[in-house]
Amino acid sequence: MTVTYLGVRHHSPACARLVARTIAELRPAHVLVEGPADLNGRLDELLLGHELPVAVFSHYRDAERAATSWTPLCDYSPEWIALTHGRAAGADVRFIDLPAWHPAFEGRANRYADAEARYADATARLCRRFGVDSVDALWDRMVEADPDAADLTARLDAYFDVVRGDTEADAPDRAREEYMASWVRAARAATGDRPILVVTGGFHRPAIRRLAERPPAPGPAAGGGAVPGDRAAPAEAPASAAGAAPTDGPAPALGPVAAQRLADGEPAPPADGPVPGERPTPATAPVPAQRPADGGRHAWPEVPAAPEDALAGSFLVPYSFRQLDAFAGYESGMPSPAYHQWLWEDDREAAGDRLVRSVVGRLRERGHPVSTASLVAARTSALALAALRGHPGPTRLDLLDGLAGALVTEALDEPLPWTRRGPLRPGTHPAVVAMVAACGGERVGRLHPDTPVPPLVHDVTTRLAALGLDTGEPVTIRLTEPSGLERSRVLHRLRVLGVPGHERVSGPSHGTDPVVEERWEPRRPAGREAALIEAGSFGASLDEAAVVALGDRATAAGSDCGRLAEVLFDTVACGATELTGDLVARLRSGLAAAARPGPLGTALATALGLWRHDRVYGVARDPLLGGVVDTAVSRVLWLVEGAGGATAPAGPDRERLGALAAVRDAYLHAGALLTVPRGAAVDVFRRVSRDPLAPPDLRGAAFGLCRVLAPEHPPAGHGTRAPRAGRPAPGTEDAAVAVRDVGEPRALGDWLAGLFAVAREELGATSAEPGPLVAALDDLVTAMTETDFLVALPSLRDAFAYFPPAEREQIAARLIARRGLRGSSRALLRTTADPMLIARARELEDHVSRTLDRFGLGAAR
Amino acid sequence: MTTLPAQEQRLQRPPAEVRHAEELAALRAADTDPRPPGWQLSLRAARRFVIGDQEAGIGRKFVGDTALVERALVTLATNRGLMLVGEPGTAKSLLSELIAAAVSGDSTLVVQGGAATTEDHIKYSWNYALLVSEGPSERSLVPAPMLKGMAEGRLVRFEEITRCPLEVQDSLLSLLSERVVAVPELEGPRGMVFARQGFNVIATANTRDRGVNEMSAALKRRFNFETVFPITDLDTEIALVEAEATALLRRSGVTLAPDRDVLEVLVTTFRELRSGAAHEGGGDRLSAVMSTAEAVSVAHAVGVRGWFLRAEPGDAADVVTCLAGTAAKDSPEDLARLRRYLEQRVAGRRGAQWKALHAARHLLAG
Repeated sequence: MTVTYLGVRHHSPACARLVARTIAELRPAHVLVEGPADLNGRLDELLLGHELPVAVFSHYRDAERAATSWTPLCDYSPEWIALTHGRAAGADVRFIDLPAWHPAFEGRANRYADAEARYADATARLCRRFGVDSVDALWDRMVEADPDAADLTARLDAYFDVVRGDTEADAPDRAREEYMASWVRAARAATGDRPILVVTGGFHRPAIRRLAERPPAPGPAAGGGAVPGDRAAPAEAPASAAGAAPTDGPAPALGPVAAQRLADGEPAPPADGPVPGERPTPATAPVPAQRPADGGRHAWPEVPAAPEDALAGSFLVPYSFRQLDAFAGYESGMPSPAYHQWLWEDDREAAGDRLVRSVVGRLRERGHPVSTASLVAARTSALALAALRGHPGPTRLDLLDGLAGALVTEALDEPLPWTRRGPLRPGTHPAVVAMVAACGGERVGRLHPDTPVPPLVHDVTTRLAALGLDTGEPVTIRLTEPSGLERSRVLHRLRVLGVPGHERVSGPSHGTDPVVEERWEPRRPAGREAALIEAGSFGASLDEAAVVALGDRATAAGSDCGRLAEVLFDTVACGATELTGDLVARLRSGLAAAARPGPLGTALATALGLWRHDRVYGVARDPLLGGVVDTAVSRVLWLVEGAGGATAPAGPDRERLGALAAVRDAYLHAGALLTVPRGAAVDVFRRVSRDPLAPPDLRGAAFGLCRVLAPEHPPAGHGTRAPRAGRPAPGTEDAAVAVRDVGEPRALGDWLAGLFAVAREELGATSAEPGPLVAALDDLVTAMTETDFLVALPSLRDAFAYFPPAEREQIAARLIARRGLRGSSRALLRTTADPMLIARARELEDHVSRTLDRFGLGAAR
Repeated sequence: MTTLPAQEQRLQRPPAEVRHAEELAALRAADTDPRPPGWQLSLRAARRFVIGDQEAGIGRKFVGDTALVERALVTLATNRGLMLVGEPGTAKSLLSELIAAAVSGDSTLVVQGGAATTEDHIKYSWNYALLVSEGPSERSLVPAPMLKGMAEGRLVRFEEITRCPLEVQDSLLSLLSERVVAVPELEGPRGMVFARQGFNVIATANTRDRGVNEMSAALKRRFNFETVFPITDLDTEIALVEAEATALLRRSGVTLAPDRDVLEVLVTTFRELRSGAAHEGGGDRLSAVMSTAEAVSVAHAVGVRGWFLRAEPGDAADVVTCLAGTAAKDSPEDLARLRRYLEQRVAGRRGAQWKALHAARHLLAG
């Protein structure tokens, strides 16, 4: 009953070789591998004959939490070697770690990340002790430089013992170790005296060994306790320690007789390979717990099952070296997969040659000169560095350091990327980028055609074929035709799921864009298969998956109106408005927390426009949009009342005024949608228009909105006459009064801008007779001092920009008439020079005359 | 710390081979590894001298990537020139001094580059009195560092090489490729000085001044470039600033050690202004040099202010006062950025010293 615990580093070729050697020497009965135990029934799926790298993609989604993670496997993964060589040697191979959806993996996307990276203290100490900069350099020196060293196991154990040392693992790691140890104990109980091989991350090895060798806890099921580990695991309840409640209680512990029989070395019960009762592709159902096939007689640990109301599943996806290389920080593993692949296929010398050849090829391809002399220098440096560092020959870092020294002849903006962990930073020297890329490689895995895929893949394939979209030809779609709309929606849904294949090159860019044609062009389908399988985590059908993906985006967007508006547009483009209830709630809660009225107004205007006028997407009068309009209006009202900043008029805030104009339209055209009654809104605006602390543009707009929304209740308290032909429209007189109260010249223009932004037509500024407002303004401007006028000028210009030229001309005509002058009103609007230049000239003149005045030299003015 | 002979204790800054004489002697005595020709130490011993070795009692003298030091030593051992480039204050000159002390046992063969550097400062000139009385002879020849280094087989340091005029830089070309200097005034075999084994050049250049782009491609080709970066690790940088500032303060007659929390605030401020990134995200990068060396000098000034003005260690208010002179040397934009940093970024930080720093923000002049 010997158990060999092999602590490895994931994705290490040296460790993979060690695993292969150990299996060949040991001929174990059981090979237990760190990997998702819920896959034990589906190991054959892994061994169908894929081209590696592939990964087990796992997803989980419940009311609170959504998570996805990968378990990547490549040719030189020790776990892969354990799996394949173990099978070939006739051993029972099992994964023994918790399923990926388990809370112990929360926040981790890469199961095979270096666990020790989370406990950096010990590795930092080791690096200092050995005088190296990074764990990778240390690892190269200790392990990869000499993979056939006789004492490799001892070195690995020593390394991981030091790394683990006195470190207290965190709760998730402890839960996993406890669980893995329970499998080891079960294997011991099941095997008799045949050897067992346990292949796990080296960081976990000391703990698993300690836990598995622990004498059994005293209890009725201990069966006399003569043999350590004769009691099967579930009674020690690792699953409950890990915080997951198995769907049914722990499997019954072995009775004393059975335990004794096992301890006496009787043959192990049959392995529980593929379980007959298990559903094959559980994409939409919770992963079923792996139940003992023989009615609970033998006692492998319970595989915790996902909660009933959760959606969890695992599928194989093609993986790539680029993805393998891209993890950083806590998620990182061994870098440079291509180099390590070469190291696995060949020896160190050959791998080094391939590395140099690949780097040089890449650089020359990109026109970066690489002379023979530099190559000689690089080679010399690499050899010398290897000697200095005590390597038997140049390793990856020696080669890279040598190449960098010889090929980079200028100052670097960023440190060499292999001296520290993390992704490539922008500004990294191009030659260095080429070196890293050459080590990373571009290999992409391929799944065997018989590999089960999630239902979404079938759904998408059938629908694309039915709509004729699987031809790889560019597609032009008229959105006004029903079939066109259908095709467009399918393509948009694939787009929001992030599945490559088609790219939209033209089409409407927002809800009210008058374009009705879309063009989609086929793109290189790299990664399409993997993306589709991964999108399967969102749902079983394209419609469902798209809605869930949009919902996630809405949640991620928070209260960022720009991103929410994009989600809204995508929802409309996907035709997902009638499919969803949850999405509405998320969009609305995001909008309800928006901090600035401006962007909110843009979203509101778009939603309102679509709700009122849409003929293309079929979303006019859509309740989703109605809800968005309502939420946005309420929020704008809320924000408007809290806005401050009267003391610093900085010109009108056009975005905010746009939001108020959108609110006006909502009340005028979609009043039935809104939960805040019109009267309450008018009260808000009345308060704002009288609030001396509100910004002037907002006050002006609020005044205008009161006029528009409640013409019978003038905000300034004056009585109004009913509109009659030939009379100024109601409110202009009040406006004339109100404008006199605005106060300082700087605020005047802003106030007017607000007013004109929301109530230009209503004020009757275009009627033929000189209105009281124009008259009041004329008086105000005439009464201004030169300085005041110059201060007020920019914002006044801004305010009148709300009028189209024809209306401005009418106003000018009335002004001329009021002054009793004759002349062309058009000429008044045209200047020969830049108005701002004129203003500056007048400022200068003003300055000169004031200077003259000061010295008593002023001419009579 | 090595005890120095009485005379050298009065020196402001003795060279590295004197400061660390005992360590060098110990390393030399214990050195069994093969030495490159002309070297005083093997590569491994030289590396241990620079990056330290706790077990052998060798202190760490250069805080930076070990791989950088290794590459630098290998470059020198493979007879290519070594060019150390980087921002000011990243300890390039210190590294070149240490390497020269380790490799040649002598770090004093230095050419200081500058606008006024001429070929005479690099190769040789004459003692004109002797030249007139005796004619050109070895006695009247005044060798410059390069000639000396070649004749004696030692490392020569060329500081701030890019500050020299291009034609002066180019006088190194033949010297580095042919490894010989012709002295046409002397006759016979004495007219050619061949480089002995052990000769090589360590140049330093500063990316802020005139960049290395100004160098001719021919000269660039004769050097291996190593970029020295600011220290990446906060704790390492704090420890370094603490050690250096404490030593400087002791030399200035201040007996109080700097406050660790104040130093942490100071170093963090320097790092964030240097990289333009704060952990809240976003920020501005100062155009002034915010190097570790500057942080040390600010820490020194802070300590001196605190001690001589109030007889206590410097506090956050001193940091603000001294920052103005370092961070915003002559640029109003930098001063504005510094003010915005103190106003906005520091405002939300926890910790007494951060709060004190925020409270003292009005001390920023201007």
